[in-house]
Amino acid sequence: MAAPRHSAMLSISNASTPQSTSSDKTQVQQPQSPAGTSGLRVPSNRKTIYDRHLNRSRNAELSRASFAYLFGEMVSYAQRRVTGIQDLEKRLNEQGYPLGLRLLDLLFYRATSTSSSALSSSSTSSSPPNRPLRILTLLHLIHGPLWRLLFQRSADALEHSVSPDTPNEYMITDNEPLVNTYISVPREMSMLNCAAFVAGIIEGVCDGCGFEAKVSAHNQPTEMWPSRTVFLVRFGDSVMEREKVLERAGVK
Amino acid sequence: MNSRRVILTVRSNLVSRNDRTRIDKVNAELVTLTYGTIVAQLCQDYDSDYQEVNKQLDKMGYNIGMRLIEDFLAKSGVGRCANFRETADMVAKVGFKIFLNVAPTVTNWTSDNNQFSLIFEDNPLADFVELPDDGRAQDELWFSNILCGVLRGALEMVQMQIEAHFVSDVLRGDDTTEMRVSLVRYIEDEMPPEEE
Amino acid sequence: MCVSTKLHPRSALAVFSLIIINKAGGLIYQREFQAGLRKLSTNDYLVLAGTFHGVHAITRSITPKLPLQNTASPVASSPGTSAPTTSGFSYPNPGVPVSGLEYLETDKFRLTCFQTLTGTKFLLFTDPMTGSVETIVNKIYELYADYVMKNPFYQLEMPVRCEAFDRHLGAWLRGRT
Repeated sequence: MAAPRHSAMLSISNASTPQSTSSDKTQVQQPQSPAGTSGLRVPSNRKTIYDRHLNRSRNAELSRASFAYLFGEMVSYAQRRVTGIQDLEKRLNEQGYPLGLRLLDLLFYRATSTSSSALSSSSTSSSPPNRPLRILTLLHLIHGPLWRLLFQRSADALEHSVSPDTPNEYMITDNEPLVNTYISVPREMSMLNCAAFVAGIIEGVCDGCGFEAKVSAHNQPTEMWPSRTVFLVRFGDSVMEREKVLERAGVK
Repeated sequence: MNSRRVILTVRSNLVSRNDRTRIDKVNAELVTLTYGTIVAQLCQDYDSDYQEVNKQLDKMGYNIGMRLIEDFLAKSGVGRCANFRETADMVAKVGFKIFLNVAPTVTNWTSDNNQFSLIFEDNPLADFVELPDDGRAQDELWFSNILCGVLRGALEMVQMQIEAHFVSDVLRGDDTTEMRVSLVRYIEDEMPPEEE
Repeated sequence: MCVSTKLHPRSALAVFSLIIINKAGGLIYQREFQAGLRKLSTNDYLVLAGTFHGVHAITRSITPKLPLQNTASPVASSPGTSAPTTSGFSYPNPGVPVSGLEYLETDKFRLTCFQTLTGTKFLLFTDPMTGSVETIVNKIYELYADYVMKNPFYQLEMPVRCEAFDRHLGAWLRGRT
């Protein structure tokens, strides 16, 4: 499942993705030559993505309202083009997915350019961090660094399914998803959770790391946290098989 | 938020979380990447028909502007502007500052004070962006066109009909990013028709 | 009369209810914050909203004008600040926009109307002694801008059914007491 979807995404970015991080250049099928020799015009002051530092916006902040309006328009636009809650969630998931792929590279880039300890608990801290090989390392990457990059804090919980039938299921909990801050879902759509967008981001990160997974967002409100959301991560069979092999081989 | 008095026995970071929600900020990259995703999705949905993408972005911006104006008024507490020159300064120095943390320069006024340009030194929406190298995008796509719609929608809600479009963009290889804004008319403050 | 300090704290803060009227005079939100209030039928609330809207517009249009001392060329006018300057009359203090009815008071309660520059009206029913009504109204406007206008499922000018707005509004008003 993972492989075909990943390549589908690439063909999108190939066709028309104007928003591209430098890392995309290595993924795109017909590689673009760097600015200057490409067909693109550049301003004389050379304010291009190649001339400005990738960490320039690292600690920059913007109005939460601006994000809310953009995300709101993403939701309304998606809603106009689908019928039903499932389709809407699927569409939001698909919008988040490419973000996950891109953020993954940004995460690794930032981790290598600063301290490697932030990334994974299991890899040795002296060497630059590798992409996670084991499920738990990956999930910690999502729960911690990814969440902090996106939402400036870690997720609230990380759990493993206790049911023996579903050892491939993991849950990441966010008590107050930022994307849902201002959203009230109409009663007739009460199953809907717009954090499906974030589920898509997680799915992109998993796929990008080579962990085929399906991720969905579910409402699990409590009195204290009315918009509490559980992201259910279900890894594919191939991932679970590989996990067993790695376990036996003692790979961390 | 401060009124939600709950016993926090579980995790201590919950307290600081509640504090942080009062600060109305998010990571700038989240905004940039989300906007990029929207544009990329439109390019895909409209088969790289960039004219249509420009139109859709403007429409989305218009929807946003009609809502954003309330946030602007509620949180800035500013009153009505006396004239269009004042409006231009308000848009550039207060509006863009609040929502995009930039303050474009207001310049190139026409003599009748009905048209001006906004020159953007920085544009967070376009961080990380390079337009597709397909021989068309740099001539046809206005990547940040949503901003024109936002201005149109927001000002219409305070009884100003305007027209806004980009005339240059560093993403197209221009040396500046410039938006041209024209006042079409003040919408008369008439009473809306009564509901039946 | 020194009321503010001696007042019973509860009544000093009492906010009885809130009504929001859209640009066309339609009722889009109504909520009570105190038990024991007399309830009106939905229809009566609609009538109240529509009537107030109409009266508000009339009070605005009958704002008296004063004769102009020097009939110089009229300054470039923006809406609201001054109506078409017919003949030699103008509103006193043209820099201040013409407002409609802002307060309506009985012995037992006070109705405060806040109209936004976009034309939406917030009607707040409070105890006549309630102080800083302006602060309360501003906060309600902020909550409205956040939890109504930023909700993609809310359609402009339609009745407000936003659970997060109800929740935050209730929590904030309770937090004041």
